[in-house]
Amino acid sequence: MKNFKEKLSGRVFLTLALFSILALAVITIFILVQGAPVIGKHGFAFIAGTSWSPGNGEFGILPMIIGSVAVTLGAAVIGVPIGICCAVFMAEFAPSLMRTIFRPAIQLLAGIPSVVYGFWGLLFVVPFISNHLGGLGLSILAGSVILSLMMLPTIISISEVSIIVLPSTYKDGALALGMTHWQTIRSVQLPAAKSGIVAAVILGLGRAVGETMAVIMVLGNATAIPSSVLEPVRTLTTNIGIEMGYAEGEHRQALFATGIILFVIIMILNISAQYITRNKSKSLKIK
Amino acid sequence: MEKYKIEIKNFNFYFGEKQVIYNLNLKVQANRILSVFGPANSGTTTLLRSLNRLCELNPELRYEGEILLDGKSIFDSRESVTQLRRRVGMVFEVPTPLPMSIYENVSYGLRLGQGKSKAAIMEAVELSLKQAALWEEVKERLDAPAMSLSGGQQQRLCVARVLALKPEVVLIDRACSGLDPISTAKIEESMSQLKKEYTIIISPHNVQQAIRVSDRAAFLLMGHLVEEGTNDEMFTNPQDKRTSDYVTGRFG
Amino acid sequence: MGKNISFFKGFVSLALTCASVITATSCSSGGNIENGGTKSHVVVAGSTSVQPYMEVLAEEYVKFYPDSAVDVQGGGSSAGISAVGSGIADIGMSSRSLSESEVELYQFTTIAKDGLALIVHPENPVDNLTLEQIRDIYTGEITDWSQVSDQFEGDIFPITREEGSGTRSFFEEFVMDGQRITSKAIVQSTNGTIRTLVSGNARGNKQAIGFISLGVLELPGQNPVKGLQIGGVAPTTENLANGSYELFRPFLVVVGEEREESTHFIDFILSDTGQGLLEARGLVRIDGG
Repeated sequence: MKNFKEKLSGRVFLTLALFSILALAVITIFILVQGAPVIGKHGFAFIAGTSWSPGNGEFGILPMIIGSVAVTLGAAVIGVPIGICCAVFMAEFAPSLMRTIFRPAIQLLAGIPSVVYGFWGLLFVVPFISNHLGGLGLSILAGSVILSLMMLPTIISISEVSIIVLPSTYKDGALALGMTHWQTIRSVQLPAAKSGIVAAVILGLGRAVGETMAVIMVLGNATAIPSSVLEPVRTLTTNIGIEMGYAEGEHRQALFATGIILFVIIMILNISAQYITRNKSKSLKIK
Repeated sequence: MEKYKIEIKNFNFYFGEKQVIYNLNLKVQANRILSVFGPANSGTTTLLRSLNRLCELNPELRYEGEILLDGKSIFDSRESVTQLRRRVGMVFEVPTPLPMSIYENVSYGLRLGQGKSKAAIMEAVELSLKQAALWEEVKERLDAPAMSLSGGQQQRLCVARVLALKPEVVLIDRACSGLDPISTAKIEESMSQLKKEYTIIISPHNVQQAIRVSDRAAFLLMGHLVEEGTNDEMFTNPQDKRTSDYVTGRFG
Repeated sequence: MGKNISFFKGFVSLALTCASVITATSCSSGGNIENGGTKSHVVVAGSTSVQPYMEVLAEEYVKFYPDSAVDVQGGGSSAGISAVGSGIADIGMSSRSLSESEVELYQFTTIAKDGLALIVHPENPVDNLTLEQIRDIYTGEITDWSQVSDQFEGDIFPITREEGSGTRSFFEEFVMDGQRITSKAIVQSTNGTIRTLVSGNARGNKQAIGFISLGVLELPGQNPVKGLQIGGVAPTTENLANGSYELFRPFLVVVGEEREESTHFIDFILSDTGQGLLEARGLVRIDGG
């Protein structure tokens, strides 16, 4: 009887796992099937075309690619330095009372739904930009600010762990040579934790690239290629979000094709993150 | 009378509530090798780490008493702790190569804020590596990552790194555990050369090593200093029964 | 060999269980229900411009006829019309006239007239623009307020609805005269968000211009916006009814085959009660009453 239970549970788990893979395969195939005809028909002009006007049969997504890149990079410029500094602070300087408060607080940041971020952005960030920097406020900058906040928990927690798991001998060795704490961090710990931190950043970027709800409210969604961070823009994700409800026929297929491009970008980001962390565990082995 | 490099007076040390070192009084002569030995958990490592104030990394540690270096207290808040650690260098039990090249490891202490010329640094690196008996093996590949060295070589690298700063005292904490006999021998050999210039305090990883290298020895048992004296006194003719029991291997 | 067979059996039975559960749950939701003295059920879908009005009508209808249920969904004029075609919806709502191909397939009835209002911030001194000026603003040819007014200067921020919106095609048809709305225009997806943007208090909001349904021009409890006169004619319901305001469009309902419940509801919309409701909310009734 026991043997039967063992086998049954094993089979059940296997079946459930297969279902998840099946779901992933179904979604992937669906997107590919729906989107491939457009890419086939327009080819390079799809990715390089600068004019998105489905009503006129134009499906160039270059402005959206630029939009995604600009907003994500902007988020990185803001979020990465802040995130790494926070991680260093938590790993090296914070008294343990502060740590017990900060850590859950940062996890809370991660738990806030993206639509709430968007709403907050619309109420505070957008008017702020409009009043103090110009434009309507709906802009790349607004999107970057919100996305940087959403990236922070990922960057901070993974970077912090990367620093904490460093052998204490690194720190001991450097300090015993008369290095100050800050010198030790700068010249030994950060370089040693580098691949973990890079992986954290890439994962954060991946999240930013896939974000839709938070940014759809603050980006302005214009289809032109922006010429400054104060101008409105559309990302690959918001393009789908804004038009999916109305799209039919080739328009709808073009949106799925946008999805394919997104898929590819995020896969590249995730694979790079895995590759970097895999390498890291090899090079730090002390013989 | 010989001048004492280090004097430890009435030193007590606590991990939180637990006392680790009890009322230690010890005088260390300059240019000699002193072994501080004893069974595990006797406080030998703690003592060494107190001498360069590395123990302060753990906020739960407390101490009472005095430690004087050349007559001045090392705990004096007017002295910078980083300065102290340049005068009192340490080699750890586990090799601690920094994640950089061999050359960068040895010159690490020299580069940061010292303002020395490249040539002067190169000279210092070469000298330190020779003193650590490593120069011949690495002179062709100073740019190779320190991680590519064997354990014994890494340990000697750490010694070179410390020596490059021209400290006055070198602390060696069980520096040869896990090393093969040849590497161990090389390190022990360099120690006897080094004592001409430096004061060396080691925590040997076994009694035999203490016998081989030290001039004087101190036996620490569960945080208490049982006995100290010259090599001969301690190992051939100890006063205290506990010392002789430990030295002869009756307990460990 | 035995292992493989029993695994296969287990998998198949698990899959069958899941399949039957899914089928059972999907059978009971939505769709048409057999009418045997039980509730009548009408599904209405389509233009988000018509939707708020339809919801009010539906609510009122159910009060009169408690045995009925009316579901109102959005999705856009085009989506609503095709939903009728595919049978998902009983009635489609449209805020634009039907295309030639659509006219052949469906029957439509006009239930009201709506106007399109161009709106700016109340503090914007501009009161009046010509259709050409508006067109030039939206093509990107006019970029600064000083080009249409000597009392105001600053970048113009045109706001439009998304492609596929009935309101947008209304605008394109009546104002753009075949030219494209500039790709630099901000795109928002409802009347409400455009209104919010144009009425906002930040500096940039005061330089924005957008278009919304005339019916939501005056909304109690919302920040006020200013409706621009087009060629001197103000966007009021009077001007819409008497034909002097150019930007007007019909609200239509579209049906496929005849269904008693749908017809009953449409009759209600066209009745005095229904039309009165629409009029109270800023539309122009079609019964002339």
